[in-house]
Amino acid sequence: MPATAKASILHRVTGVALFFALTFVIWAWSESLSSPEGFEFVKSLFSGFVAKFIAWGTVTVLAYHIIGGIRHIIMDMGYWEELESGNSSATISLVLWAVAAVMAGVWIWL
Amino acid sequence: MVVNQASLKRNGVQDFVSLRATALILTAYSLFIIGYFLTTPQVTFEAWQGLFSNLAVKVFTLAALVSMMIHTQIGLWQVLTDYVKCAKLRSVLGFILNMMSFVYVAVGLFVLWGV
Repeated sequence: MPATAKASILHRVTGVALFFALTFVIWAWSESLSSPEGFEFVKSLFSGFVAKFIAWGTVTVLAYHIIGGIRHIIMDMGYWEELESGNSSATISLVLWAVAAVMAGVWIWL
Repeated sequence: MVVNQASLKRNGVQDFVSLRATALILTAYSLFIIGYFLTTPQVTFEAWQGLFSNLAVKVFTLAALVSMMIHTQIGLWQVLTDYVKCAKLRSVLGFILNMMSFVYVAVGLFVLWGV
């Protein structure tokens, strides 16, 4: 699969994933603001692997959706529309995403 | 017009602009929240509640939620029209997903109201 195709399908997959991830995000946000006990409960969840993984997944998926989105807006302005530049920008987006995913992992686990 | 029916009373240019305008708001909001976590050494309940009791943050949060609803209405419609060929199933799925994003906005509104 060419880089442009990967970039395209990932933008869709991450968009759909983000939509469902919002269920967890909005629940955790609502619970954490409900009372000091609710806040402590959500905080205690984040000491466990599952909540950390969901948080990492959400941030990582958001990172790609934003990177891909910025690439799309640049393409709307008429740049990177040729085969070569399109493939390069797609590859760079994927590399940036990998870096962002590692950084998010370091941030959440360390 | 047939075009209007196909896009649920919206048109392509409006979708194009709305998708991008809401994307900018959502990106700004995402960076704001990530920035808050990165720059706040210890997020306590008081600090967290203080953040969302700020009127400007409430407005920004609601703007982000409404943008999310518009953004997902367009984006999920694009995905559904490409992959779900059965019109009945597509309509039902679209309805459910749009309801979900409405629920997100409604929950968000009432949470903000109570902070």
